[in-house]
Amino acid sequence: MFKAPVAMPTLIETRRLDKSFGSVHALHQVSLAFVRGEVHGLIGENGAGKSTLMRILAGLVQPDGGQVFHRDKPLRLKGPGDALARGIVMIHQELNLVDELTVADNIFLGREPTRGGIIDRQAMRQRSGELLADLHAQLDPDTFVKDLSIGQQQMVEIVKAMSQDASLLIVDEPTAALSGSEARLLFSLIARLKARGTTIIYISHILPEVLAVCDRITVLRDGQVVTTLDRDQLTGETRDKERHLAGLMVGRPMGDHFPPRQRAGDQSAIELRGISLPGLVHGVSLSIKRGEILGLAGLIGAGRTELAEAVVGLRRRSGGEILIEGRPVVINTVRDAVRLGLAYLSEDRRGRGLLMGMSITANITMVSLRRYCRPLISPAAEHEAVASHRAAMGIRMGQPSHPIESLSGGNQQKVALAKWLEISPRVLILDEPTRGVDIGAKEEIYNLIVKLAAQGMACLLISSEINEVLGLSHRVAVMRQGRLMAVMDVCNATEKSVMYHAAGVDAVAEATATVTSAL
Amino acid sequence: MPSTSTANSTRTPLTNLPSWTGALVALLLLMAVTVAIEYARSGTTAFISPENLINILRQWSFVGIIAIGMTFVIITGGIDLSVGSLLAFVGGLGILTLNALLANDVSEWLAVVVAGVVIIGSGTLAGLLNGLLIAKGRLAPFIATLGGLAAYRALAQTLADGGEFRSQSFNLFPLLGSGGIPVPFTNVAPNAPLPVPLTIPWPVVIFLIMAAAASIVLNRTRFGRYALATGSNERAAVYSAINVDRIKLATYSLVGACTGVAALLLASRMNSISSGQTGGLTELDAIAAVVIGGTRMSGGSGSIGGTVLGVLILGVAGNMLNMLGVNPYLQGLVKGLIIIAAVLVQRRKIS
Repeated sequence: MFKAPVAMPTLIETRRLDKSFGSVHALHQVSLAFVRGEVHGLIGENGAGKSTLMRILAGLVQPDGGQVFHRDKPLRLKGPGDALARGIVMIHQELNLVDELTVADNIFLGREPTRGGIIDRQAMRQRSGELLADLHAQLDPDTFVKDLSIGQQQMVEIVKAMSQDASLLIVDEPTAALSGSEARLLFSLIARLKARGTTIIYISHILPEVLAVCDRITVLRDGQVVTTLDRDQLTGETRDKERHLAGLMVGRPMGDHFPPRQRAGDQSAIELRGISLPGLVHGVSLSIKRGEILGLAGLIGAGRTELAEAVVGLRRRSGGEILIEGRPVVINTVRDAVRLGLAYLSEDRRGRGLLMGMSITANITMVSLRRYCRPLISPAAEHEAVASHRAAMGIRMGQPSHPIESLSGGNQQKVALAKWLEISPRVLILDEPTRGVDIGAKEEIYNLIVKLAAQGMACLLISSEINEVLGLSHRVAVMRQGRLMAVMDVCNATEKSVMYHAAGVDAVAEATATVTSAL
Repeated sequence: MPSTSTANSTRTPLTNLPSWTGALVALLLLMAVTVAIEYARSGTTAFISPENLINILRQWSFVGIIAIGMTFVIITGGIDLSVGSLLAFVGGLGILTLNALLANDVSEWLAVVVAGVVIIGSGTLAGLLNGLLIAKGRLAPFIATLGGLAAYRALAQTLADGGEFRSQSFNLFPLLGSGGIPVPFTNVAPNAPLPVPLTIPWPVVIFLIMAAAASIVLNRTRFGRYALATGSNERAAVYSAINVDRIKLATYSLVGACTGVAALLLASRMNSISSGQTGGLTELDAIAAVVIGGTRMSGGSGSIGGTVLGVLILGVAGNMLNMLGVNPYLQGLVKGLIIIAAVLVQRRKIS
């Protein structure tokens, strides 16, 4: 099924792994080999079995059938301790560091060097310093973890793993919370680990990243291995490679998945004049017409989310004016924004966008609940509303009274959108609307956005996926470090020109250089 | 391995049951055990008689009324420790008002009405103050209301000089706590010359009416839904255009008002308030009832029906131990075990 690279022995191999959760068959006869010193990409839609497979390797879950082999010997992992003892370390999306301890404390947490029963802080700091220097991680061992950026914290996790002699490092969506420059640092760190012979399993939704970082790529679908490809087996432009991988993930050929744009209107729906937030956003002026989709690109930390939150009254502005349909308006709270027909779909679906403990129905009617009171909330009217959204958006769900957690990421996102469509907004601000959403559901959300714009809604589309911005928007705005750098008509915008404004020309050159030289 | 799958499959039907199912089962078990022991001992049951059951309800209706407000507070992720002390303080304030008015020859009717308004009004205001400290002053609910717990007790004791507030209204005021609705065609004194009907005391009637109303408020009004949202995830609630501060102010005011109602009924029932004793540990009884009833301490889910069952469990447990002649000092132990068992059972259901 796959060609092992020359002369590289297999580190870990799974043979016919099976795992079910209740009626869900999460893994079905999965046989895979991971060789020493390779970066092995693992891709698939949500629910394809990636996490289950990795959790088995990390000793967190026991398989129902099949076996794991470590250096050709059968290996039974009864718990995460067993995996750690074999040098298998998994770095989760939610990092496991103690905020109130220093970098050195965290690296040696639970196995502190002692002298006479007392922690030898001197030795601990020195060892940490060496480990950090070894991996070119420019961090001070005495810094408190709470003062580090997410990227730096992730680096501490990796250094910690390496200090435990990790031979297999599993990273799950490592760049999800990183800025561009932090991601570049991570890539070069991965390259260094690889050069030392560490095997890395790289799980990610972001296909260009997988293509840049991984030597081999395994595609999972419905708990089964679809194929394992050498990177060199993929041909054509980056876009063609992505499309090929995406097709393997969903099990059907992927077209150009952006629906055709409709014409934007002429009337201005919303105009921002000199919006400022101290230290975050500096004098941003923009206007969006009815029926127009304005893409807002930029790196993480460019101030796009902060700008959006300031517009809908979630953050206190230090200056600026907002005009809706030409009239100046006052927006101090989200309630003001809702009254004026402004809706903001948060990028943080689980933490801010939805109420995870509550039912699908309660989430959908949360903002528009007043409409369902006569004077008591009418469950029948609520269910009717849920049914109509379900039909209109193709939400795949069980009972409306089921908790929102029971839905997949894509369907949760549809519910989050439905909640805002309930107020029939004039202006819809979409912050990373397809984050953590399967490719199939992505297409549906794209179609929906275009349809809403065609109905006259003005959309501000904030996205870190340049493809998405270029594929959907009428115009593209780019922010960098809190400033609006450019607004371009989409026919004049390219991936390169957007990156140029988002990162600055030097950063782009550097990034290309790092990725190509490091890998 | 198989443990995960069995946990999954058994959990599915459980989640469809209301959150108070466990409390109901526990209550019925407790009652069955009591009756069984009684029959084993004497071949008859005094426990299950209407008088005894009504007696339990009356004793616990005061805690129950407070627990209704407490349910809303806990659902928003808060807590109110001040209610016990507040009960004594506003009750005392009401009796002082009543006596002052009677001393000035105001009619008894008017004096009682004014005292009632003072008790419920000052309870509501005290709750509002807690709410302000928590929502606007950004104090942790535990701390803000811990302050109230100490302060209101001190105020009550200062006003009464450490002793009792005694009402000077001997006809009208006590009626509220002692009177009730007679149930037609019942007779609790078969040997008496005239039939004495079973009476459902006003505190019980008011408790049950308030519980029914609160249940509708929690499940069918925007306030109830927003309270659940606030406790479920406050930040997400803010992002959904909910005025979280106003919801908090309302819930603390509500528990304050409930405390006022309980204080009025209790002051009337005893025709006095002990500044040092009344309401001692009532806050913990109320919280215990809410927790036993299946409301999550961290907020976001809960039910009034559960709280009513929680109150009944506490009442039945105490009554059972009394009737079985268990050392009264041991009763706290049983209460403690019930609370811990209730939380353990719920934990298992959630995870």
